[in-house]
Amino acid sequence: MIRYLVGRLGQSLIVILGVTLVVFAMLHMLPGGPARAILGPRATPQAVAAFDHANGYDRAVPVQYWVWIKNLLTGNLGYSYKLNQSVASLIADRLPKTVLIVGLANVIAIVLAIPLGLVQASRRNRGFDYAVTAGAFFFYSMPLFWLSLLLITFFSIDNTFLPPEAPQGSFVDVLKDPAGLVLPIAALTLITLALFSRYMRSSAIDSLTQDYVRTARAKGSSTSQLLRRHVLRNSLLPTITLIGLTLPVVVSGALIVESVFNFPGMGLLFWNAAQTQDYPVLLGSVVVIGVATALGSLLADLLYLVVDPRIRAA
Amino acid sequence: MFGAAIAGLAAVAALSACTSSSGGGGGQPVSGGDVTWAEQPGAPPNYIFPLDALQYFSTNNIAQFQYLMWRPLYWIGNGNDVVLNKDLSLAVPPQYSNGNKVVTIKLKNWKWSDGKPITSRDVTFWINLLRANKANWGEYAPGYFPDDVAKVAAPSTDKVVLTLKQPVSPEWFTMSELTQINPLPQHAWDKTSTSGKIGNYDTTTAGAKAVYKYLDSESRDKSAYASNPLWQVVDGPWKLSSFDPSGRAEFVPNKSYSGPVKAKLASFTEVPFTSGEAEYNSLRAGSLTYGYIPQTDIAQKQLVESRGYQVDPWYLWSMNIVPINFNNPQVGPLFRQLYIRQAMQSLINQKQYVSAILHDDGAVDNGPVPTYPKTSYLTPTQTNGAYPYDVNRASTLLKSHGWTVRPNGVSTCAKPGSGAGQCGSGISGGQKLSFSLSYASGISEVSQEMQAWKSDLSRVGIQLNLSQAPLNDLFAGLTPCKPTQSACSWQMAYWGNGWEFAPDYYPSGEVAFSTGAIGNWGSYSDPQMDAKIRATTQQAGLGVFHAWADYTTQQLPMLFMPLSATQISAISTKLHGAMPQPVAGQQMTPESWYLTR
Repeated sequence: MIRYLVGRLGQSLIVILGVTLVVFAMLHMLPGGPARAILGPRATPQAVAAFDHANGYDRAVPVQYWVWIKNLLTGNLGYSYKLNQSVASLIADRLPKTVLIVGLANVIAIVLAIPLGLVQASRRNRGFDYAVTAGAFFFYSMPLFWLSLLLITFFSIDNTFLPPEAPQGSFVDVLKDPAGLVLPIAALTLITLALFSRYMRSSAIDSLTQDYVRTARAKGSSTSQLLRRHVLRNSLLPTITLIGLTLPVVVSGALIVESVFNFPGMGLLFWNAAQTQDYPVLLGSVVVIGVATALGSLLADLLYLVVDPRIRAA
Repeated sequence: MFGAAIAGLAAVAALSACTSSSGGGGGQPVSGGDVTWAEQPGAPPNYIFPLDALQYFSTNNIAQFQYLMWRPLYWIGNGNDVVLNKDLSLAVPPQYSNGNKVVTIKLKNWKWSDGKPITSRDVTFWINLLRANKANWGEYAPGYFPDDVAKVAAPSTDKVVLTLKQPVSPEWFTMSELTQINPLPQHAWDKTSTSGKIGNYDTTTAGAKAVYKYLDSESRDKSAYASNPLWQVVDGPWKLSSFDPSGRAEFVPNKSYSGPVKAKLASFTEVPFTSGEAEYNSLRAGSLTYGYIPQTDIAQKQLVESRGYQVDPWYLWSMNIVPINFNNPQVGPLFRQLYIRQAMQSLINQKQYVSAILHDDGAVDNGPVPTYPKTSYLTPTQTNGAYPYDVNRASTLLKSHGWTVRPNGVSTCAKPGSGAGQCGSGISGGQKLSFSLSYASGISEVSQEMQAWKSDLSRVGIQLNLSQAPLNDLFAGLTPCKPTQSACSWQMAYWGNGWEFAPDYYPSGEVAFSTGAIGNWGSYSDPQMDAKIRATTQQAGLGVFHAWADYTTQQLPMLFMPLSATQISAISTKLHGAMPQPVAGQQMTPESWYLTR
């Protein structure tokens, strides 16, 4: 087990390094370079040269990469020359907020989707199943942007039940204003719930056709017992894959929701950095997302081990 | 206390009686209240030290954040007039002597928020810091301030004398150079560390560098903007009471402000937004006092008005330009022919763009002088346009210079050579009239203007190949170059709001059109233009300015597009004093605003 874990962590490290290398190389292929992008069109050649020198952009790209890796190992992710803030502090500010809304939306979606999918599967092709399926398709096919605007229009503008934007300020300030979190989390949850419940329903339908389910039913298990004891665990594998894949999304942010609900999170940080060629922020975000992707994959593998004894044995 | 409150209410009532109602509607004035003001998406305040490094330099940050706390020596703008505002300036109008080579600045008897007087030392402190660190300064242009100042003297506590290297145009020097000086509290900031003692470190270059480094480093700690004692010593009408690194800034009145208009609001809050849509949602929900309608939602103007807002376009003091690269190896020889520039300018249907694309929130701009508001800088040549929209004229120009014009195709040079009736020097036979233009992505008006222009250009066989790029990428590629350099591949660029004259407000062309200037990206070079520009900065009077403006309008060192409003503001009808919106540098004065019930 430990050997497996060490191996997987090693693989993850190589993947993360590879990703940073590719991103680093691609950034340096952009035309013009960061100095003019950041300093603007009024920059003198001297100012551009001074900026490049101060930030090490006048050195060979491999040297720049090596310096960046060395700084990374000491926790120094660089300094955003557009936002006038260290990348580490930017990520420390944005990441918890993003994890809060995207993570919470995913947790709520999973908690609701699993029983919903099970019940749908057990009542397949009946009224309840049709209703939930219709609802799932309705939300899943709806653009997040549009759904967000509809929620704001109904709950904040036509009626004043909830604020139209997420709370501002530090993470603590955000927690102090839960009302502001309701709409962005609701928008994300509705879309994610639709996705998870569809997966869970399909998987549970597969499980219900298995011999062990028929046997359990023949031995007198009630539907409730069947679903809890025999179907649930076996139907979770696809959902676990999905949960693993969701982790990078949880830390990389939900750009559209952040944009519509005025909630500056990781998604917007990355997007704006890409727009302004803010290299340190881009690279810092890539590291965080890369780590989350590797961890998500690892988490999914570990959950497989927990849930499915066959994998453990193999 | 009660008496003060009554006095405050009386002042508000008196003000409401004598100030034109600019928020619309009536209502009983209230003392206090909070005004929430929407920042543009992605443009939060990010640097507090009012000697901005280039990477943090933006007129938003200066005019709508720093100037609330630290006022420039000379304030330009009175309503939307672009004039010296004697009341809001820290000094009386400058006196020019010795053939306009000596400038004497006399400070008013104003005070810092800690009660200390604003003295000539505070002016020299800023100048010393700038001189030692000018390469970092966002407004630095080689040859101009502070390079053009030979000597700075402070003969008394209220007087600063600048001896210049050569005579200057007083209008230009006051509006473009002195306006950039921002007195700083030497008695509180002249130190090199938080625990260090106040000294006169700025009087040596090494000391000034150390002080600058310290203040710059303090300005990088955004979380301490509202708590750092440094930033609490202000001379403006507002003090920062809270600041979130994401850009939310709350100001309260500086009760010691010496200026003529004291703040009536209890607080003024600038609110950051992640997108125009997020801002618009807040506006519709009524949680903003002063916001804007994003261009994509401009059709909703009436809805916004029905929710208690007055809608008003806010213009920049700017010219809108299409830079062209005279050194591009492919099309540089084409751009060097005036008749081709004239033909291209003649195919910009500005009136139609203003009405159909800008929804009438724009103004025709035929030359280098801002056309909104109307000022004495404008001449009939620019107002009427040297090359108004005329397809036939464009076609005739090309034909008369040896081009075979192919409408909806690509015209080619049939008569190469530099003689009369020939295409011009450097243009070969069969060369096509084909150009590439990169424009800023994500702005629908810009995209529509470019598509419309492309269509009109094609009517005389000028091919325009359009591409889009994020604004910063566009700027990254916009660089003066030599034809042999790979960086010289750009041909034309457009981003929609051109060149803003702020905080150098005199709308002259020394930074954009003179040979080798930092804003002369296309490497335009014309000795006659250089001479006329020099005259605008060195000779008094508007005559030389008008001569330069007319010449630029005719010569087209860049092409000119219509001005568009930088934002369509939505101002609560309960807010008064906010209109007309200031054009010069967009320098807001919320101290003159007040709310009604």
